[in-house]
Amino acid sequence: MSQEQQSGLLLLGVGGGGCRLASSVMAAYGDGLRALGVDTDALSNRTAAADGMTCLLLGGSRLAGHGTGGDAIQGRLAAQDDMQNLLPHLQGVRTVVLTACLGAGTGGGATPEIVKALHDMGIATVCFVTRPFAFEGESRRKAADRVLPMIEENADSLVVVALDDLFSDAGEECLVDAIRVAEGLIAAGITLLWRLLSRPGFIRLDAERLHTLVLKGGNARFGFSSAEGAGRASQAVVAMRACRLLRSGDALSKANALLLGILAGQDLRLAEIGEIMGKLRDVCKSDCHVEMGTVIDSQYDGRIELVALAFESWTAAVQVEPRKEAPSSSQEPPVAETFPIQPGSKRSRGKGSKLSFGTTGRGKFQNVEPTLFGGQDLDVPTFIRRGITLER
Amino acid sequence: MWGAFSECLPELSEAKKRGVMAIPPIAALEIGTSRTVMCVGESDESGRVKITGVGTYPTTGVRKGQITDLSQARVGVESAAKQAEKQADVSIWQVLLATSGGHIQAVVNPGMVTIRSGDRVVSREDIEEVTENAQAVQIEADRQVLHTITQSFTVDDQPGIVKPEGMRCKVLTLNAMAVHGLKNRIDNAVNVVKSAQLDVTDVAFSGICAALAVLTPEQKRNGVVLVDLGGGTTNYIAYCNNVISAVGCIAVGGDHVTNDIALAFNIPLNRAEEIKRAEASAVIDSDSGGRRVTLQADVGFEERLISCKALHTVVNARMDETFRVLRSKLDEAGVLPHLGGGVILTGGGAYLRKVTELAQRVFGLPCRIGLPVNVDGLETVEQPASLSTAAGLALYGRLTYADRGLFSPLKNLFKGVFHR
Repeated sequence: MSQEQQSGLLLLGVGGGGCRLASSVMAAYGDGLRALGVDTDALSNRTAAADGMTCLLLGGSRLAGHGTGGDAIQGRLAAQDDMQNLLPHLQGVRTVVLTACLGAGTGGGATPEIVKALHDMGIATVCFVTRPFAFEGESRRKAADRVLPMIEENADSLVVVALDDLFSDAGEECLVDAIRVAEGLIAAGITLLWRLLSRPGFIRLDAERLHTLVLKGGNARFGFSSAEGAGRASQAVVAMRACRLLRSGDALSKANALLLGILAGQDLRLAEIGEIMGKLRDVCKSDCHVEMGTVIDSQYDGRIELVALAFESWTAAVQVEPRKEAPSSSQEPPVAETFPIQPGSKRSRGKGSKLSFGTTGRGKFQNVEPTLFGGQDLDVPTFIRRGITLER
Repeated sequence: MWGAFSECLPELSEAKKRGVMAIPPIAALEIGTSRTVMCVGESDESGRVKITGVGTYPTTGVRKGQITDLSQARVGVESAAKQAEKQADVSIWQVLLATSGGHIQAVVNPGMVTIRSGDRVVSREDIEEVTENAQAVQIEADRQVLHTITQSFTVDDQPGIVKPEGMRCKVLTLNAMAVHGLKNRIDNAVNVVKSAQLDVTDVAFSGICAALAVLTPEQKRNGVVLVDLGGGTTNYIAYCNNVISAVGCIAVGGDHVTNDIALAFNIPLNRAEEIKRAEASAVIDSDSGGRRVTLQADVGFEERLISCKALHTVVNARMDETFRVLRSKLDEAGVLPHLGGGVILTGGGAYLRKVTELAQRVFGLPCRIGLPVNVDGLETVEQPASLSTAAGLALYGRLTYADRGLFSPLKNLFKGVFHR
């Protein structure tokens, strides 16, 4: 059994974009990574398979491998159809790092279903999902925003990367380039995280600690930076603080827990680690829980790369008083404004689920014995339970 | 357990003794969630049953197959009976009753016997003993057995034996499936019929009745699942290798589709039913985007435009879910891989547009609508699949009369099936 299998980690790409992200991570990481791509489009599956990733076709009987055509309902149904096929790939898996690009059919439709299934199986999930660029159109963005609460409900940790945030001055790039660059950047970040987990440095971050962080940490913001040459340590921290994905340091200062990975060459000095940690602690809250790991790779000589996951709602087991501060809504304004389930209130799952229906949800079955199946009340309209938005 | 049919009519036993099968017309009653159906069936010596009278009346006071208002349900029974009496020109005083509802369950009970004779050959006595053992199903006190269906024999380790007599073995096993329901719920339905001045001679599970009317011997041999899409319930019965392998009922039906539509568009239930019949589709039509359906104005109701795609989405979600629930039940029973004959849909819900297409997708099996072909006289009736249960119940009545010496083609098929 390889080290990756022992660690119980699986990288799962959902939909065309998710598979591309996963295969970029594969390409950057090299062999031995346990990765799986699922998509409804046979063509994109073949492309991903060519990159050496195991691929599963979703909804073959329903869509005949032609993709969903942007219809999230089809994506959702395809995932339900073939969820069984996913199970053999999940043996021994404890944590799944899931990548998906929201806004289209499979990423948007299948992801919530898969996350729910993983949650039901007791597998921890870290979801890296992208919100489409503003220029991709309002409808894609709305579609993505509709899906987010559904993923959030079952995901242990949700990292939303707004693609617009990746470019400080958008406008110069063509769409195709922009998306490719964006995906490359995110993939680089995930790869870094992955290396941290699997290539031990002298301070090891293991899968178990990620598992714990993910389970307790809630939603996260994700950022990375790099610097080289003299003063690289302080430059990397400055770059990290300026990272738009971390809301220019805002997310760092509000984080309750921080996972920091340092990737560097053989020439990494202890003093540099001290400098990075010291500077970051200045930014973070005094009681912020920090987990740190290093990766030493001779390819990185003369360079330092940092990756950070800033968790919003970490509550340490030893903490006696529960944290009063609600996660700042400013961290996720586009989502928070739109949805009944607030990001950070993840634990909406604990409160018992999506939307609560009073008697009105049952209509004519109001006063009869409910028909229960799989923990659901089948008398409540299916489209409501499945969270389907109807065309008006 | 209900008494055998012949006990109710002693004069028939006399007829049997004379070798003449003069069976009086059989009245079969189904108190469905959306309508009450009374069928009068007359049989000839060939064993075929011909429906000579049909009475239907919209039901009120029934939800999900169960009586919620005795007096309202009674009105439906009386009206349907009157209509059927008139059409068949008979006078009905006793009926067979079909029952359904989420409380109906099936349990498989194995019976076992060690072959004690010196030559270890299975004798008729061994078969009788094992059958008796298998049929001695233990169920809770508040439940009532409707049917005991004997499945196939296992001779030592060799399963799927139909006739073990004369075979050599040490242990003979027979599985019997008991279909049972809550006594009180069944009694409620019986009391409704009694309050309409009619006697109930026997009660049968609706799903089994529909299977009798619809399925052909070849389909049963190939393995098939019959899905009766009713108003309040969805009954299913699966045959593998000619043996009933799974029976059950999901308390979700056409009423749920109507209710979903009513809640989705905030319209009254009767308008939702109307639009379901006229425009609904189990599969979302590719050209439905942007199309609108008009709901005509009525007293206190303004004209409304409804998105066709939204309507299809609501119906698709419900039907898809119902089939998926069903698929998981069949999967649980382990019958899914043995359904070469595919999925047969019957009942009123089978007339929903593109429902076979959806079922085909969900089950990954061929699917079609099943009409009550084993019963005559329904050729001119509109939507005959909605009468499958009542027509099949009449056939059930005929079969429970049948002397085992006669009607050989049917005899083997149902031998043991309705042994009670």
